[in-house]
Amino acid sequence: MKLSLNWIKKYVDLPENLTMEKLSYDLTMCTVEVEDATDLSESLGGLVVGKIITVEPHPDADKLRICTVDVGDAAPSTIVCGGINLAPGQLVVVAKPGAMVRWHGAGDPIEIKPAKLRGIMSFGMICSSGEIGLEELFPTSREAEIMDITFLDAVPGTPVADALGLDDIILEIDNKSLTNRPDLWGHYGMARELAAIYDRKLRPLETEVIPGKFGDLEIVIEDPERCPRYAAVTFKNIKNVPSPFGLKSMIWRVGMRPINLPVDITNYVMLATGQPTHGFDKNHIKGGIHVRTAKEGEILELLDGTILDLTTSDLVIADEKNPVALAGIMGGKLDSILEDTTEIILEIANFSAMGVRRTAQRFDIRTEASSRFEKSVDPQRVDGAIAVALNMFKEYFPGSEVTGFVDSYPMPLKNSEVDVPLSFLSRRLGKELTAEEVTRILGNLGFKTEERDGMLHVTAPSWRSTGDISLPDDILEEVARLMGYENFDFIPPKVILEKPINQRDLDMERAIREYLAFRCGMQEIFTYPWIEDEYIEASCADTGEMLCLSTPPSPEESRLRSTLVPGMIKAVFTNLRYFESFRIFELTQVFADKDYHSINDPSEKLPWMARHLCGAFVGEDPRLLFRDAKGVLEHMHRAVHMEPLGFARISKPLWADDKLWLNVTYNGEPIGCIGLLSLRSARKAGIKRSMTVICEIDVEKLVPLASRQNRYSRLPEYPCVDFDLSVVFDEKVTWADIYETAVKVELVKEVRFIDEYRGPQVGEGKKSVSFRTRIGSDEGTLTSEKIDAVMKQMIKKMSKKFGGEVRGA
Amino acid sequence: MFEELKEEGMQKLAESGFLEKLEKLRKAGMEKISETSLPQDLQTVRANLLGRKGEVTEILKSVGQAAPELRKVLGQAANEVKEILTQAIEQRNEELINRASCFEGDADITLPGTDFTVGGLHPITQMCYDLNDAFRSLGFEVFSEPEITSELYAFDNLNFAPEHPARESMDTYWLKGHDEERGAGRLCLRPHLTGASVRYLQKHGAPARFVYPGRVYRNETTDARHERAFFQYEALIVDKDFSFASGKVLVKTILDKIFGRDVEVRMRVGFFPFVEPGFEIDMRCLVCGGEGCKVCKHVGWIEVMPGGTPHPNVLKAAGLDPAVWSGFYINIGLDRLVMMRYGVDDVRLFHSADLRFLSQFK
Repeated sequence: MKLSLNWIKKYVDLPENLTMEKLSYDLTMCTVEVEDATDLSESLGGLVVGKIITVEPHPDADKLRICTVDVGDAAPSTIVCGGINLAPGQLVVVAKPGAMVRWHGAGDPIEIKPAKLRGIMSFGMICSSGEIGLEELFPTSREAEIMDITFLDAVPGTPVADALGLDDIILEIDNKSLTNRPDLWGHYGMARELAAIYDRKLRPLETEVIPGKFGDLEIVIEDPERCPRYAAVTFKNIKNVPSPFGLKSMIWRVGMRPINLPVDITNYVMLATGQPTHGFDKNHIKGGIHVRTAKEGEILELLDGTILDLTTSDLVIADEKNPVALAGIMGGKLDSILEDTTEIILEIANFSAMGVRRTAQRFDIRTEASSRFEKSVDPQRVDGAIAVALNMFKEYFPGSEVTGFVDSYPMPLKNSEVDVPLSFLSRRLGKELTAEEVTRILGNLGFKTEERDGMLHVTAPSWRSTGDISLPDDILEEVARLMGYENFDFIPPKVILEKPINQRDLDMERAIREYLAFRCGMQEIFTYPWIEDEYIEASCADTGEMLCLSTPPSPEESRLRSTLVPGMIKAVFTNLRYFESFRIFELTQVFADKDYHSINDPSEKLPWMARHLCGAFVGEDPRLLFRDAKGVLEHMHRAVHMEPLGFARISKPLWADDKLWLNVTYNGEPIGCIGLLSLRSARKAGIKRSMTVICEIDVEKLVPLASRQNRYSRLPEYPCVDFDLSVVFDEKVTWADIYETAVKVELVKEVRFIDEYRGPQVGEGKKSVSFRTRIGSDEGTLTSEKIDAVMKQMIKKMSKKFGGEVRGA
Repeated sequence: MFEELKEEGMQKLAESGFLEKLEKLRKAGMEKISETSLPQDLQTVRANLLGRKGEVTEILKSVGQAAPELRKVLGQAANEVKEILTQAIEQRNEELINRASCFEGDADITLPGTDFTVGGLHPITQMCYDLNDAFRSLGFEVFSEPEITSELYAFDNLNFAPEHPARESMDTYWLKGHDEERGAGRLCLRPHLTGASVRYLQKHGAPARFVYPGRVYRNETTDARHERAFFQYEALIVDKDFSFASGKVLVKTILDKIFGRDVEVRMRVGFFPFVEPGFEIDMRCLVCGGEGCKVCKHVGWIEVMPGGTPHPNVLKAAGLDPAVWSGFYINIGLDRLVMMRYGVDDVRLFHSADLRFLSQFK
């Protein structure tokens, strides 16, 4: 919202020597955020009023004229100009040589220099309104029209900003910070706040005796909840003419476009008081004003030409037949102030925030009026607005006459009242306060305070009674902010040492993440909780139990993940554009439409939620990738301090290849799976080249151990001996079987897999498995005969049990 | 040494030329030893001199064939030479090892180090853990609630007016199938973290000091500065008659941790339904030191987080008496902090899963 400092000064005398920086700072600290403060005269810097003395044609250019212009210097200047409306005696805007001018009122100032135009030296420029950013105030009807300010009667050489009365400062307030302060949405409200901040006297708003009901206008409010008050004044002898410059410029400088005099007055009233108003052509309104909800099938064309299909939840202003305005938002095109309007109905009404917001949102319309009503304007403000409006019409339409007045106020506002113990304020603020001090501070803001035995009874003014003030804490805030938050000392909070914080679940989650990232070379990723249908399809996930969003980010992303696999597949797909092999993981929550339960309030039933861990291993060799993934899970318990994970084939994940998959178990219970992404799933997801092994486990099922669990084992007394064997087996023989047999051989302490090989060297249907056996005795050092005997025994077992043949033997 | 030899013996000794031979051998051996420049060559020299068929060994063997009265003397002389050569070899060996390399050929030490696969935590996780560490050191607990919550906890408990716009589906992701319900029965993806504070206080009571980081969701149009899913970090202290001025400790803990130095902060008026009074908290611009620059839009301060005293209605919802208990909240956007920390210019990168981006934060 933009505010004019000159306008504010109409209502309050600010301290002398108050700089713009200080005012912005104080307002920001105490009330609302000042985003910007612009000096209007700066945007018109370097421009002066010039008076044209003569206009001659240019000898070498049809479109140019040679003017002599009095710009306040000792001698007139010669200026070559292409303007088509130049005339002797005319007052114009001149940029003199040496002046720094911001073209179009913006950007960095640029220096004006004398220049030769078709052989004639020109000392400066005569400007059009567009060139200096004033086209809204001085609209042009033809091209190449220069800005004519003859009406100003100003002395040549006067700075244009002064001549136009634009020596003003415009404050730009962050609208978000005004959300809970509807009273500040107008110049008078802000003046009142500044008066309180600087402890200054606020001048009263224009007063005008408001008449009792008279005239023929009737008002029927059918929905007082949504329209607590509706007042209307009727005028005759009104004309649709442009506003005088002064009024135009007031409206323009705070960001509104001047339209015509009656409309500009309604906008002026709103900008002054914060109370939106609207004018109807009285001759178009038949049978009084009806404030009612729209009927099914009704249509309304708004001022901006939008045609609305109204619904029964929209509040409209209607005459006996048709809607003529969308209440609190925008007037209708057919019945508002028109070219030929001479009699008007001026609406000054109050509409409830919720109703206006709903309708404005549904139609996606935001207007100056709706954005004020949405903040909850107090109905009492109608009074001030009526007074200002009556004054304005009297001043600008001296021949007009008030022909009627009516004020329907079915839901009068009740002022908020709060009881606050003085001791509460002192305690919470860490500062001793007196009742007088508090009364004075609150009084500046319009609050009335009565004290009895340390209890303050505070009555809020009407403009702070629409929801903003209701508790002792609200009063505390008012007092504290006007005392200045910077003036309270920092008091360090006391530390209470009870017991060490022990959050094993939390530590476990972090340990898992750090293990995967730092020990396993995996990169953590985040994906959205809503998953795309395409990847749900690729992962064959069951959509039956998935929760859905009412208004999803897109139609294909309406489902919430019950598994991390779809998001993981998508992440694999997107990264394959840039990388061939990588490892990624995500640990986060998944949801499902089942197992509703309460965690706090018994009436609140939350759906099933669990933290899942999902990893993807992408590369070339599916067998190796599978072992990588399995290895990461196998070793996790050491880093994370939990029981080790187990592996078993229980049920195949639907997305997995038939040959490479396992379920992951914890204490025997299945908690997840690991598998190669099937050809079908990869194709569906658009993954063409690489292989992907995915694992997913339910982290909720893991139980962190209270402490570290691994034990020390005594170092062997006698040396152990290792020997490696490569044995060719039938492909069907599993390592698990080989291992089971191998560890049972006499003196064997440990058997470790080294690698396996398939290929021409071992023949089709065969594989060579290499493993390392460690043997040792607790009774003494092994002799070479004994070692040979064990090795022979091992070879014999492999051959007898599995038909294995030692390679190279 | 030859005193014990009789004259006849001396005669024989001279005739045999044994001593000259021995002396020649010694000289040649010493020369070879000092010429040798590689430890492995020295082994060959040793073998040639002192090995089983070495020259010194051979000469020692020949002592047996000499006249009996000479044997002792010759043996002594030969052994002496053997001893000298052995020592020389050893000494030479040590010299060579002291200055020798372990390997042959040259090496390029400008080659890069061996690459090993490193993963990494998401930059937001890193920031979150940094802050957790800082707050835990101050005795705060770390808490989390499920990402799906209800209108009761997301809005009602937090003093959001019934018609507050944040409750609209334009703002909040409500779950399908609950559209008709209100309060505890109307479920959504949590729009902020604050609801979790009431859950914690209902369970643990007061006094309390805890943080609750997490991801929140808003129905928004996304661009480089706006996301539908983003991370917040919230901290709350609840204590008896806690003055709002003490809330600064939360703010400073976060900012000092992130920027690694003392950061000046100020608190000014701000409005949020769940706090009263509410604050916008600014920090002194670190780029210009408060002089005013582009980064701080020439005001010298940068808005970093909202905060405030829990609204009495929030404390009541948490089962606490607002006449007794008070406290301070702060809530900071982790995405924005991480963006500030690293100069990231697009918030959507955080959920992109793009390894070209994520791998920069190892």
